[in-house]
Amino acid sequence: MNPSYRIERWTTASRISVWVFALLFLAACFLSQSGNDSLLSRGVVLFVYVLLAATWNALAGFAGLMSVGQQAFFGLGAYFAIRLSDSGVPVFAAMGLSAIIVAALSWPMSIVMLRLKDGEFAIGMWVLASLCHLLVNLDPLIQGETGISLIALNAYDPETRRVILFTFALVSTTAVLGFLFFLLQSRFGTALQAIRDNDEAAGSLGVNVLKAKRLIFVFAAFGGAIAGALWLGANISFQPKTYFGVQWSAYMIFMVLVGGIGTFEGAILGAIVFFIIETFFAAFGVWYLIGLGTAAIVFSLVFPQGIWGTVVRKWNLHLLPIGRRLSISNEK
Amino acid sequence: MNSTEKYRNTVSNIRLPRRQFLQGAATVGAFTAFGMRAANAQSSETLKIGFISPRSGPLAGFGEGDAYVLAQARKALADGLSIGGKTYAVEILDRDTQSDPSRAAQLANSLINDDNVDMILASSTPETINPVADACEAAGVPCISTVMPWEAWYFGRGAKPNEPSPFKYSYHFGFGVGEFVKAYTAQWNLIETNKKVGVLYPNDADGNAVRAVMVPQLEAAGFTVVDPGAYENFTTDYSSQIAIFKEEGCEIFNSFALPPDFITFWRQATQQGFTRTVKIAQVAKMGLFPSDIEAMGSLGPKLASAAYWHRAMPYTSPLTGVSADQFAADYETTEGRQWIQQLGASMSLIEVGIAALEASGNPKDRDGVAAAIAGLKTDTIGGVVDFSSGPVPNVAHGPIFGTQWVEASGGDYPLDYVVTENTTDPNVPVQAKLIPYDG
Repeated sequence: MNPSYRIERWTTASRISVWVFALLFLAACFLSQSGNDSLLSRGVVLFVYVLLAATWNALAGFAGLMSVGQQAFFGLGAYFAIRLSDSGVPVFAAMGLSAIIVAALSWPMSIVMLRLKDGEFAIGMWVLASLCHLLVNLDPLIQGETGISLIALNAYDPETRRVILFTFALVSTTAVLGFLFFLLQSRFGTALQAIRDNDEAAGSLGVNVLKAKRLIFVFAAFGGAIAGALWLGANISFQPKTYFGVQWSAYMIFMVLVGGIGTFEGAILGAIVFFIIETFFAAFGVWYLIGLGTAAIVFSLVFPQGIWGTVVRKWNLHLLPIGRRLSISNEK
Repeated sequence: MNSTEKYRNTVSNIRLPRRQFLQGAATVGAFTAFGMRAANAQSSETLKIGFISPRSGPLAGFGEGDAYVLAQARKALADGLSIGGKTYAVEILDRDTQSDPSRAAQLANSLINDDNVDMILASSTPETINPVADACEAAGVPCISTVMPWEAWYFGRGAKPNEPSPFKYSYHFGFGVGEFVKAYTAQWNLIETNKKVGVLYPNDADGNAVRAVMVPQLEAAGFTVVDPGAYENFTTDYSSQIAIFKEEGCEIFNSFALPPDFITFWRQATQQGFTRTVKIAQVAKMGLFPSDIEAMGSLGPKLASAAYWHRAMPYTSPLTGVSADQFAADYETTEGRQWIQQLGASMSLIEVGIAALEASGNPKDRDGVAAAIAGLKTDTIGGVVDFSSGPVPNVAHGPIFGTQWVEASGGDYPLDYVVTENTTDPNVPVQAKLIPYDG
């Protein structure tokens, strides 16, 4: 008996799905040119959800950092976009630049926040978000809770604006997901998964835990900020309360829990599920929120792995070549 | 855009593919041949009007009567609207923001993109109106709104003083800080006081606007304003403010606090003995609806308020032909609830919208409708709305007059809402003398 083994990364499913993703991207590009208004503006909303879910999942699912304060970056992303635009930066450049500024700001924040552990980190992030909210309120441009509007966008006619915004959302979401994908494929991804499983053990094996967590923290801040800037582009009005509200973190947790925490595909799936639920049930008001809460509880009790986690466990299906699989075949 | 300019644009852009040209030619031919028939076929066109207001959530008080108002308006518009020789069916699509600004923006976008509305009407508070007005402005859809201070609508959305208006499609009518100053000055001179006014103004646009604009004007009118400084919304301890008001011996009190904050403040002020010496307790944002005051128990009656609409107004709806008083009375019988001032505001909003569509000559032309609103002067159940003489472009003035909540002498409801002052609209009869709060 001579067991032979193979380590594989690419499976048939993942080969097919990468092609499907590429085709979807091309379809979305095509859509941006010819799609109708409603599709384009709803598309931006979906991209925002995907960004939020993917970055929260990167934090919680891969780096083991549960945050309920990601709305800090979401709000700051919108705030800096409006600030820069008011000081004369072209509006779409301001949106991109704003995410870079927020990512840069999140670096010093991470020095403080990453000293906190688990529950302390979660609550600490919430405090950080409230602090950012109050500081933004102090800016005379924002006029306290009343806020301000990104009227620079009105310089574009509605058609052009929609197409640019959709393309912007498509490209930035693809870039953020792509970056995360390559990050997870690299040595760094292996280190992250070790940290997720047990950060002390990972540290003892020579993984630089703090550095890895910091990179993910900054990455998640960038993703949150891009999402905030996009949301602002789609909604135009900036009222601090709506951007710095804790409900954003609740949505992120919902999407990731339902989709499947710790899986790349799960977060995207969760975002799509949330988007669909919102589209059809948001009009039910309070009952919609009660339904969301119930779904989150049911999922965390019955399917703690989420939809995708369950799929992976049952069928060993991996749509993206992340991680390596050991296949052993017995040859006589 | 005038017609020559439009013509020039068309000419310079002629690059019609052959098929499209032929189709166009065919259409023109058809029109000439069957002109009559084409006109008839178009007479079944529908005008779609979006109506966005908060019907649930913390701002639900504003939307309480909207179902009734919409039913009346739909009944009046059931036979359609005749504009420029054509009759249009009118469909009003009402949407509830659930008091959430994000949802307000999404509703506006979906009305614009999916339902293809010709106009959107939005009512009550910056949280509802600003996101909707922004969405309309961005999409080039005419939008009319009412019931929030116009300063927070105009400057709050990024317009700058002494610069041309950045808005082309969004319009607003109603009260502003100027009306508040007139109403307050008149109201506070109704009772002998030491003219010392303790003010509770938060750090938000309304609070900062009244602090910057209204306070100097009140001081010019002879009042001493005692301002302990801006505080953040949802503060829970007001001891320091109360101590200052007591020390200064303020006999007039004015609040622009959010309703829950005012209630917290007023309870603490009562416990700490400040309210015993207050002769006029003038509240804004709070006390618009009877339910607000009833919720305050014994502290509620005799609070002074200001109204943007009242059943005592001597006006008749041009849409339904019903007078303000009949309108309120019919609401009470139909719905079994006490009338609220928002009824008239919602109705006048629909009336202004319809008047704008009529004035445009072609309600399907969005630019034309927007231009028509700019010069619109029309009667409503709340008086005349005149966009040609507003304080800034895109805005028309509206009245606000002093009122007071008093315990009702008989009748079906525990409280009465009486007009005590009418400076900003002298047509409105003064119904009662202002009663001191402590007396």
